[in-house]
Amino acid sequence: MFHVKIPLFANTKKLEHKIDELHDKIIEISMVFKKAFHLFLQEKRSANYRKLSKEIKTIEHDADVLRRSIESSLYLQNLIPDFRGDVLELVENLDKVINEFDEVAHQFYIENPDVPKVYHEKMEELVSEVCECAENLAFASRAFFRDFSAVRDYSKKVYFLEHESDKTTAKLKEEIFSSDLELAHKLQLKTFLSEVADIADLAEDCVDQLLIYVIKRDI
Amino acid sequence: MDLTYFFFLSSGLFLGWSLGANDVSNIFGAAVGSKMLKFKTAALIASFFIIIGAVYSGAGTTQTLSSLGEVNTIAGSFMVALSAAITVYFMAKTGLTTSTSQAIVGGIIGWNLYAGKSTNLAVLLQIVFGWVVCPFLSAAIAVLLYFFFKRLINKLHIHVLMQHQFLRIGLVLSGAFCTYALGANNIANVMGVFVDSSPFKEVEFGFLHLNAEQVLFFLGGLAISAGIFTYSHKVMATIGKNIIKMSPFIAFIIISSQALVLFLFSSESLRQTLHALCLPAFPLVPVSSTQAVIGAILGIGLMKGGRGINWSITGKIVLGWFTTPLLTLFLCFTCLFFLENVFRQIVFIP
Repeated sequence: MFHVKIPLFANTKKLEHKIDELHDKIIEISMVFKKAFHLFLQEKRSANYRKLSKEIKTIEHDADVLRRSIESSLYLQNLIPDFRGDVLELVENLDKVINEFDEVAHQFYIENPDVPKVYHEKMEELVSEVCECAENLAFASRAFFRDFSAVRDYSKKVYFLEHESDKTTAKLKEEIFSSDLELAHKLQLKTFLSEVADIADLAEDCVDQLLIYVIKRDI
Repeated sequence: MDLTYFFFLSSGLFLGWSLGANDVSNIFGAAVGSKMLKFKTAALIASFFIIIGAVYSGAGTTQTLSSLGEVNTIAGSFMVALSAAITVYFMAKTGLTTSTSQAIVGGIIGWNLYAGKSTNLAVLLQIVFGWVVCPFLSAAIAVLLYFFFKRLINKLHIHVLMQHQFLRIGLVLSGAFCTYALGANNIANVMGVFVDSSPFKEVEFGFLHLNAEQVLFFLGGLAISAGIFTYSHKVMATIGKNIIKMSPFIAFIIISSQALVLFLFSSESLRQTLHALCLPAFPLVPVSSTQAVIGAILGIGLMKGGRGINWSITGKIVLGWFTTPLLTLFLCFTCLFFLENVFRQIVFIP
């Protein structure tokens, strides 16, 4: 019947929503990246891949806008002064993961590397591990704002998936360098593998910090 | 009423000023220091509620102090309050935890001894019981509140940002309650000794009706409020810097436990309710708000495993229970002698 908006809570709710949206962006970008990579292996730099690459760029741009808005709102509303620095750092690091997805997708578009069919399955496995790792980072970070106990559960998954992605990358590199491909081609593929694996590494660094924040907050 | 009365009242007003500068800083220091609350907002809330608490609930503890010793001349009251103020100042300088409550009790006993009047031992025991129980009770309440709110937060999964907003409101409400309780409990230290020699009459401002005692308490409240506005900002900044590592949540728990302890020792209606329910009630005695804060901090520190607790501070509290009243007693007794024999003032009526 009556809907009274208290400005103090309305602004905080808005900011809460923006933080949630930033987490959504990580999940969204990882899903689109997975789809785009699969398409790249099938069609290389096709019009469809270009479309998905643009979609990734848009998500990255939206995430940047969100990050800036979250940062300024935290200061303007004078919220959580005791651990505002930690939250700002976390938001920056989440944005770094999103940027890395965009950079890798764009690099594939620019360089249009030739990935021999024999490596497709393993490559898709690596991308799948990396994307799942990023998604679990989003869950862990979301839990940090509402339920500390769940942060640990998701962090465990991030660590596990990062480790798996390292193993897959190592295997792939070994196979590539023992193949008959030209050295330049081998080096190009190695660079791409490292860049994809970097996404999981960034997610792991982010979770390391998250766990420290949880300890700090729990005191 | 002549101006000399206000001169004699100045020692009580000075005590009130120092109470406002120091004790209120303990309440709002963490909130202002961590920028959860602006100083002006904190000072306004504190001043308003301390005056309300003093005027409307200050009678209980004042009655207890009066039954310890009825200082019956204004010059006598002046010296009791002045010696208490001087002792508190010097004790604070030496770093020992002290309280106006302990100082004023020492001063009253000093006056009793000088005037050859007997000190009501039962009342004195009640007061000392209050001092000893205060930090322990504060520690116990702090631990209970900590568990209760921690559990509530974990269960409700409230967003960190919303938690912050609730905490900000909580700090304002608990701060307001705490300053109200501080006014009710500690106005006796500031103005209690002047009650029996007060020349004030009851006043009426429209719907507002104040009896003679309440007018005196209102003046005391204004002195406390002056202390808040003129000096507490400095003390709050120091407290904020020193205990900034204490999270706003812990600050909220500590302020709330301090408020509850002060309220338990000053609320007449609570005392009557407990008596009606055949439950043991707390004596209405002025206690130390600083020691209530220290008790709450120690309680939470112990609950977290006791690491990093500075145990020497407990020794300082116990030492304060003895040294503050004894020093004030000695000082008051000596100064009364000079006031009577050198300055030719009537310090007591036999």
